[in-house]
Amino acid sequence: MSDLPSLQLTHFQAFLLFSVVISVAFGFLGRRRPKDRIRYILWTLILFLVIGIGIGWAMLPFSR
Amino acid sequence: MDEQPQIPLQAESTAPSSEPGQSAPEHAVDEGMSRETRALLYGAAGWLLPGMGHVLQRMWGRAIVVFLAVGILACAGAAMKGNVFTRDGSDAFDTLGFAADLGTGGFYAVARTMEPDGSDVSHADGDYGTRLLATAGVLNLLAALHAYEAARGRKA
Repeated sequence: MSDLPSLQLTHFQAFLLFSVVISVAFGFLGRRRPKDRIRYILWTLILFLVIGIGIGWAMLPFSR
Repeated sequence: MDEQPQIPLQAESTAPSSEPGQSAPEHAVDEGMSRETRALLYGAAGWLLPGMGHVLQRMWGRAIVVFLAVGILACAGAAMKGNVFTRDGSDAFDTLGFAADLGTGGFYAVARTMEPDGSDVSHADGDYGTRLLATAGVLNLLAALHAYEAARGRKA
């Protein structure tokens, strides 16, 4: 098992992985009809991305 | 989001037939096991093996998604050399991290196996991996709670 390659992701790739997986899980756990699930998944994914990137931009002045 | 009408659990679960929107009477659930006991078992099964709590209730879609979501997050976190906390933590944050990691159930052992050389949080990847592992654990606990509540007839 020690030969396993380490996974290297950029900030945004890790953020995207987190957002997509959590959005899909929330959609399936929180909604029941397929149409509602798709809407919920897209909505939570958009919120994750917008808020996450927004917080990132808000922290930009303090990162230097 | 719009408020969605709640659909009774019985449409997707194997719970005995009852009127939509109503919980089945305690005596009608099972001859040898109360609904509460069964719900606890489903919750525990869902914690030990992500998605199992939903499999036992024949919620196949949710079971697959929970298993894949927890598995992807836990394996990605371990592959990124995230910190898999042990019970030998030195402070409260380590203990909290251990509790979160333990939430992944069986994937905790998988994550430990994937990191024979230990974690490497000196880089951002390792730090992200630590967060993904904790997220996997908390998500699995949420799914196990969902399975428990569904078995009690409280959530669709």
